[in-house]
Amino acid sequence: MAIGSLKTLFAGEKGPLFQLAFKTSLLTFLTLGIYRFWMKTRMRRYLWSAIVPGGAPLEYTGRGSEKLLGFLIAVVFLAFYIGVVNLILMFISFTVMNGSGGGYLLSFVGLIPVYFFARYRARRYILARTRWRGIRFGLEPGAWGYAWRAIVHLLISILSLGWLWPRMTFWLEKYRTDRTWYGDAKFTQGGKWTMLYGPFKHLIVPAYISIAIGVGLSVVSNPISLGMLLIVTIPWALVGFVHYRVQSFRILAENKSLAGLQFQPHPRSSRILGIYILGPILVSILAGLALGLLGGVFAVIANFPGMPGIDAQLLLQGGSIATWLVIGFGALTYFFIFILYGALYQTFVTLPLIGHYAETLSIMGAESLVQVTQRHRDDAKEAGGFAEALDVGAAI
Amino acid sequence: MIVVTPPDSTPSALYADYVDGETARVERVSLQLEVYSNSLILTRPEGGEIIWPLSDIREIPDQAASEMVVCTSINDPDARLLVSGWAVVAELRSRIRGFHQAGTQIGGQTIAKWALGAFASVAFIVFAMIPLLANQMARLLPPAGEVALGEATFEQIRVALGRTGMPAKTCNRGIGVAALNKMETALSQGLDLPYPVNLTVLDSPIVNAFALPGGQIVLFDGLLKAANSTDEVAAVLAHEIGHVAERDPTRMALRSAGSIGVLGLLFGDFAGGFVVLSLANTMIEANYSQSAETAADEFAHERLKAAGLRPDALADMFETMKKLGGDAKGIQAYFSSHPATDARINAAKAASAGMDANVTPILSRLEWRSLQMICK
Repeated sequence: MAIGSLKTLFAGEKGPLFQLAFKTSLLTFLTLGIYRFWMKTRMRRYLWSAIVPGGAPLEYTGRGSEKLLGFLIAVVFLAFYIGVVNLILMFISFTVMNGSGGGYLLSFVGLIPVYFFARYRARRYILARTRWRGIRFGLEPGAWGYAWRAIVHLLISILSLGWLWPRMTFWLEKYRTDRTWYGDAKFTQGGKWTMLYGPFKHLIVPAYISIAIGVGLSVVSNPISLGMLLIVTIPWALVGFVHYRVQSFRILAENKSLAGLQFQPHPRSSRILGIYILGPILVSILAGLALGLLGGVFAVIANFPGMPGIDAQLLLQGGSIATWLVIGFGALTYFFIFILYGALYQTFVTLPLIGHYAETLSIMGAESLVQVTQRHRDDAKEAGGFAEALDVGAAI
Repeated sequence: MIVVTPPDSTPSALYADYVDGETARVERVSLQLEVYSNSLILTRPEGGEIIWPLSDIREIPDQAASEMVVCTSINDPDARLLVSGWAVVAELRSRIRGFHQAGTQIGGQTIAKWALGAFASVAFIVFAMIPLLANQMARLLPPAGEVALGEATFEQIRVALGRTGMPAKTCNRGIGVAALNKMETALSQGLDLPYPVNLTVLDSPIVNAFALPGGQIVLFDGLLKAANSTDEVAAVLAHEIGHVAERDPTRMALRSAGSIGVLGLLFGDFAGGFVVLSLANTMIEANYSQSAETAADEFAHERLKAAGLRPDALADMFETMKKLGGDAKGIQAYFSSHPATDARINAAKAASAGMDANVTPILSRLEWRSLQMICK
């Protein structure tokens, strides 16, 4: 290994992460959702610290109270947007089109600019609260510039029937990267958008073949084409989608530079795909086992002499203490399984995903890091609150 | 991972990584614990010492690497010391005091201020703006739009009431349907409704009935079975036609469409979110319809009289529901949109004052039986 080359280790472990995820979701449930800001903060703190490039772990310095405040700020504005604007759109839809479909579509379209805005703001907050070797990252303000560019790129991608999608991927990533800082050093996104067509062909080609077969099937039904569609082209397109996500990340990262540093990521699409397929299966089996166990206990209680039978409609009518006991146990089981599923998902999907990206990353030219000095703290007062409120913060 | 490697034969010398929070340079410092001054001395590779009193050192919490401890000093909160190795980590942990959380804690006052702002804004939108808008819109919505809104809502309700994923069944045994239509015709005769009343019976033991936008009225089989006479059912039906004439369900549907999104925003998706959300929304609906109930009752009194029936049939129905335990108490009362209050019973009785005790029911005995058997 050359001098100045840093390997990244991953220190995340399933046991401690599961404990943290389960404990914090339980607290979130018990506080009617209020603890979720602290839950997210603590989960991030753990996951960040698990990524250890060159022996120094990343540190997440966000605070739960800060996230709560950001959320409250966002609510003040979004409550108006979601409540009133949605209602007006629904009204227009029922007046003009006699159906709710148009209203849902319109309100979805209306949220797209807010979605991009929120994504950028959330990234700014997260970077402002991320440190490595004691030095802060940062993202320049520019959420509205990002939102309108994203919409133009999206329109171009749609008008080109998908063929210019990599162009959008590249230019949006460039917009974000060229505004990203590590201390006083600035990131630069190099390369061209055409370099993404390598992985993109495995998405666009099977997608077009699937559509062609689908159109053909709608004219003449044919079991062979249907089999082709279900067994070959649709799975190919889905695998192609993951492949594009992973490899476009790799290509874009290889072409980033930061004060003489270069990045060498080697994520494998097969590994990421494996986690996405096997992870949820494992999670479902484990959660299913837990549900089966609780279901057994429930059946024993419900069939105990003097207990009412399980009839949802009779339960709705309400009544005796025994009925309420059955309802209470059922509700607790539901919440328990929900919390368990979430914690298991973090353990068997989120953690391995981050782990794979971390472990396959090398950083070259680390000797120039000594030149990097600290940057001022970005208040980012709104703290990703819009993303939080709209739930576009993805898995973590 | 950082491995603590003794650089020479001196077993007491320990090394750790130090960053000063000003540059991205990692310094390999040697650590010395000075017991008499109770402080940790970091000797930098280029000379110079940093002295951290033990009482100032804090650990960064929730770290993944278990054999490493990341610390900072409260007087130098941007600096970090990364100490590795089980033994030294345990030793250090036993001597330092608690955790440090980087970043600034937001003051309780700031949070309270914004919480109040958020609460006021949500309350204003949910309780003032959305109802106001919904009222205006209900007036402006064309009848065809109302019918479409009603159909969309009806499907959601059927799914919600269904068992094991199947939507609740609708009942339409021929003679029963004819009887029901006869009753409806008698009650809505001479009314100028923007759309025809459209009756449905759902196969469910719930003792209730409700109206939807666009003239849709839904009776539960449980209500037909529980009613003691055809007049009691007629009274309920007249009450629901009252809601239809006032476009109450349209207002309610528009209002809940607006508030569901806002409540979803507030509660987030903790534990599915949906349960609290729908419960909260039902509460709002129930509150909303209380004021309209009296108007619908009065409407029903008039319609019953016009059809040659006594308004106190409504009082009888309330009594019947009361006997069945339908007079919900406590928590349930909040969720019931038809509270059978004594005031409403008395109002129905007062409206019948001076009327003949014997009236001719709309349905014959046979028709009434077939209506009760509409779901079999």
